[in-house]
Amino acid sequence: MITSNVKWTRGPSAVVIAALFMTPIVVAINTSLKAPAEVLDVFSLPAVPYLTNYVQAWHQIGRTFFNSLMITVPGVALSVFLGAVAGFPLSQIKGRVGFIVYLFLLTGMLVPYQIVQIPLFSLMRNLGFHNTIPGMWLVHAAYGVPICTFFMRNFFASVPRSMFEAALIDGCGIATYFFKVLLPASTSGLAALSIIQSRAIWNDLLFAMTLTNNDNARPVTVALNALTSGLQVQHGVLMAATLISVLPVVISYLLFQKAFVAGVLGGSSK
Amino acid sequence: MTNYKPAPWERNARLVFGLFLFTPVVFFIIFYIWPVIETIRLSFQSWDGLSPRRVDVGLRNYQVLLASPRFYHSLLNNVRWLVFYVLMPTGVGLGLALLVNSLSRGQGFFKLIYFLPYTLPPVAVAAIWRWLYEPSAGLLTRTLNEVGLGFLARNWIGEADTVTYSLMAAGLWWSVGFSFIVFFAGLRNLPLECLEAARIDGASAWQTFTKVTFPLLWPSTAIALGMSAVDAMRLFDIVWAMTGGGPAYASDVLATQMYDTAFGRLKMGEASAVSVAMLVISAVVIMPFIIYMARQVERAENDH
Repeated sequence: MITSNVKWTRGPSAVVIAALFMTPIVVAINTSLKAPAEVLDVFSLPAVPYLTNYVQAWHQIGRTFFNSLMITVPGVALSVFLGAVAGFPLSQIKGRVGFIVYLFLLTGMLVPYQIVQIPLFSLMRNLGFHNTIPGMWLVHAAYGVPICTFFMRNFFASVPRSMFEAALIDGCGIATYFFKVLLPASTSGLAALSIIQSRAIWNDLLFAMTLTNNDNARPVTVALNALTSGLQVQHGVLMAATLISVLPVVISYLLFQKAFVAGVLGGSSK
Repeated sequence: MTNYKPAPWERNARLVFGLFLFTPVVFFIIFYIWPVIETIRLSFQSWDGLSPRRVDVGLRNYQVLLASPRFYHSLLNNVRWLVFYVLMPTGVGLGLALLVNSLSRGQGFFKLIYFLPYTLPPVAVAAIWRWLYEPSAGLLTRTLNEVGLGFLARNWIGEADTVTYSLMAAGLWWSVGFSFIVFFAGLRNLPLECLEAARIDGASAWQTFTKVTFPLLWPSTAIALGMSAVDAMRLFDIVWAMTGGGPAYASDVLATQMYDTAFGRLKMGEASAVSVAMLVISAVVIMPFIIYMARQVERAENDH
């Protein structure tokens, strides 16, 4: 029987594909541990782990790594909060008005971010936010509005309406209900959204390129891009810098895989 | 919904909800609506981005754009990416999801691996793949040499006729995890009765897939296709970080052309004309998807 023959190959195929998927990462790790003389033989293993690469890489991008942390953490908190604040009324208002406001905000998902860069650059410079970390918080909070609103509206819509009504009958105000009852009960949704927003903000290159120009505010993605496109490339150092720059997202993925997947699914479907 | 009357305690709801919506809507207007209008206005002007004076030039930016081969080449590349992104990550993602779903052991492990690249910053993906594509010592060339196919090796991202395909391979590795996870979740939610019924009726594996599984997976397919289309139109990071649109604009897409024209050459008017073209094209491609999603959400909620 054909099917049983095919069935037998499934496990091994999955393993082979997994090995292919891991190859680029394994090559990067291997290269990052090699001395300059060893780098050019891609198949060889390092004689001894050459950690100087990491020291040099940290020297070049360490500052921007902290900038990235300083941009991402408040940026995520702000954007998720804004999404929750907008998503709550939109999940409760029934009828035309709510739906129109919702669609209005959703059209933001259709705007390619490149096309707002020129006015945004002028705006941020005029506000004095150019090349500042708070400027990046503002920008990431603002451009997160459509996706975060979409996500939180759909999450709140799945909370039974009776909970809201019971709270109001008990004399709880709408705002009190939101802050004291609904938000604490929504940790799974908030966590999932926070994770995908962390990925989006940590990984951002475009906004950072437009709005920052030196190590005072430049995130690690921009620094890595400058290293990559430099003329004199030291592959060992570059791979070490690359691995340093992916560490926070990879760690958060490995730790919060469930929330990560829930976030990715919730941000696109429901 | 039509005979819904607000209860007494809902009378001030309008005010409270209005206050809640105020900040997000203001942010949205300042950071989305205003810049888009400003970009459209700029596309009829000439400006270097710094001087206080902006000169009205009418349709000249559009004329320049429509007469430049670079624009058509970028547009063609976007179309190629669109076709590629709609077919490949979606198709491969579906295949991987079916594969992992059929395994009796190790599902969690393979899910972890297949989804991992999607979490990485595109800049990091670019840095790693530039090294894999290095023309003499990179993994790809070395592997071809090793198996005696060295004559196939080339300067993967340094030659005009291979560069876009090389970028696409990197893009596939990076983005396939998304479609995979969407399809995998879709497969896990399939009603088992239907599959069981198909089995009892004696359907072959292929028949079960085409007649039962695939139609039931339609919502997942719509999401994977729609998001891939959105990504193809917005495509920027991978191209910018790997080649900057080069060599000689060979891998340019509209987004990289726009960015280079604006911040590399300081021709804000011409760059804005590219932006407007991008906006119109992505609206045509993406609008049906947004409407579909909004309808889905509404329908799902009316069902409950």
